[in-house]
Amino acid sequence: MTSKKAEAAGESKAARKQARSSKRRRRISGLLALGVALIGVGALYSAIAPEPQTAVAAQDPALVRKGEQIYNNTCITCHGEGAQGVKDRGPSLIGIGEASVYFQTSTGRMPMAAQTAQAERKPPKLSPEEIDAVIAYIESKGPGGPKMPEEHGQQLRGDNPARGGELFRMNCASCHNFTGRGGALSSGKFAPELDPATEEQLYAAMLSGPQNMPKFSDRQLSPEEKKDIIAYVKSVTDGNNNPGGAPLGGLGPQSEGLIAFIVGMAALIGITLWIGAKS
Amino acid sequence: MSEQNKQGLPTEAELAEMDRDQLLKLGGKLDGVELVEYTEQWPVKGTKAEKRAERAVAAWFTLSGLSGLAFLGVFLWWPWHYAPANTDGHFLYLLYTPLLGLTLGLSILGVGVGVVMYAKKFLPHEVAVQERHEGRSTELDRQTFVAHLADAGDRSTIARRSLIKRTALFGAGTFGLATAALPLGSLIHNPHKDSANENGLWHTGWLAHDGERVFLRRDTGDPHVVELVKPEDLDAGSMETVFPFHAPKTASGSVDYAKLEGILAGTERVDEHELVDALRRSDNPVMLIRLRPDDSKRVVKHQGQEDYNFGDFYAYTKICSHLGCPTSLYEQRSNRILCPCHQSQFDALQYAKPIFGPATRKLAQLPIQVDEETGYFYATHDFNEAVGPAFWERKS
Repeated sequence: MTSKKAEAAGESKAARKQARSSKRRRRISGLLALGVALIGVGALYSAIAPEPQTAVAAQDPALVRKGEQIYNNTCITCHGEGAQGVKDRGPSLIGIGEASVYFQTSTGRMPMAAQTAQAERKPPKLSPEEIDAVIAYIESKGPGGPKMPEEHGQQLRGDNPARGGELFRMNCASCHNFTGRGGALSSGKFAPELDPATEEQLYAAMLSGPQNMPKFSDRQLSPEEKKDIIAYVKSVTDGNNNPGGAPLGGLGPQSEGLIAFIVGMAALIGITLWIGAKS
Repeated sequence: MSEQNKQGLPTEAELAEMDRDQLLKLGGKLDGVELVEYTEQWPVKGTKAEKRAERAVAAWFTLSGLSGLAFLGVFLWWPWHYAPANTDGHFLYLLYTPLLGLTLGLSILGVGVGVVMYAKKFLPHEVAVQERHEGRSTELDRQTFVAHLADAGDRSTIARRSLIKRTALFGAGTFGLATAALPLGSLIHNPHKDSANENGLWHTGWLAHDGERVFLRRDTGDPHVVELVKPEDLDAGSMETVFPFHAPKTASGSVDYAKLEGILAGTERVDEHELVDALRRSDNPVMLIRLRPDDSKRVVKHQGQEDYNFGDFYAYTKICSHLGCPTSLYEQRSNRILCPCHQSQFDALQYAKPIFGPATRKLAQLPIQVDEETGYFYATHDFNEAVGPAFWERKS
């Protein structure tokens, strides 16, 4: 009996011990599972979530001050104090991002000459250093927004202009024409021709959507797809799409048909006269 | 030629004595033609000028031959492969097409100019006059001709061969009817009349079959790749053209997510024709627009379409309600959608109603939702009206 009791006591002790240890194990494994889950969620988040909007604390304060000066001299009339915008004159620039400032100033569209339907490309008023300073200032007002890519110039041309062409015709050609000749929009606005745009400017325009152009985020068109589009644009603009020797404006059948008719008719009439003439 | 008979024809003996010049004159005279002038170009043989003319003609033929050879050479051996701008082979690549045209063009031009020049330089100079009768033919000619025709008809015995007549009429008539049926058929029988026909004008590729889910698919340039669209893919002020993708179903009728994942990862096979057709069908393209938050507050929705949008996301058909052009010129600041063909404009903030140009109906809106499981956009059902231009059965 006693032995049985002892046995029972021992059993229950062991059972208790076991229960305790299994409880501990459960707790530990629970903690572990939680940890793994948290890490997993964190990793998933960092993988899926867009670039975190971190403040640019590393900005050079001297550069920001210089940018503020330039801003107050050239931009403040329309975009207001502290880049907050002025009603019916210029939008707020807070959080518009590096790519947007770079595109608008490096193409000379900003500062605007007059309030017209569309800001037109003209020789840039700001030097590259001044543009960097303005970027620093605008970024200090509202960080985040689309960033410029690391690469420059030729590096921004992808190696698959054929895919770039497919994507260009799907996403861009409706406004900019199949070979980047540009075209009309509503109320006097127009999509510009793409000949003078540099690789950086093409990239920045896709990313930031200047004026009425829609934005194309990196999740909609990946950086590689953007580079392929740039490669395509560069291969058809600026006299590169000219196998016959005279692009005739690149406007398609109208100009080509007219020239073919005039030149061809004149040639045919000339030959007919020559054949019929007495020698 | 005093011995000629009544018709002015020479006898056989005279004919045998005539030389070629006389025969020529006689032939012309019988046809009423008189040679007024018929002089040789080079009466004195072997002059320098004649030799020069000969060489000029030969030069054109030679040029033609050499150009032809050059064309063959370019066609066979020229580096015609595409070389991007600013690479080494680009200039040579650019020359390929012009060279083909230039060499073949010169070749045919050389032959043509050579032949014309030969005719001009060496064929004798000829001026001929032919007498033509005035007014209608003589009564004699007219009556004999009619008699000839009537005789031919009579002797063909077609008038009394009624079996041949009837069968010929049957054959030719049926052939004519069959030819006419092609253009007339579509005017008589309307293949799109049945509104339940899912390939008809009333439906688009967004129509779901027995509760399957139709996701919004992006065109990546490769028609065999399936990529779906999530809300976070689009920045505010963006537009993306999307196409329907019919998700696989499980036996119970819900979305087969395991298979869908496999398709998106490229490990699961899908019917490739179906994938390509979805991108090609003309009423499939839809503009998925993400408005800017400030603009989104000003949106006016159409009655019955209040829940068609998902937050700032609105999906409108890309097919213009005027004549069916792609209205893909979206202005993200003025929120106008433009059609490039006839300058119709639609307001994206007011259920895409027409605000300028010849279009009179709004763009059809596609109802969209986000899949709870995967976070991808899908269409809750097909458009609630036919997309594109008007047709006979359409009342509005």
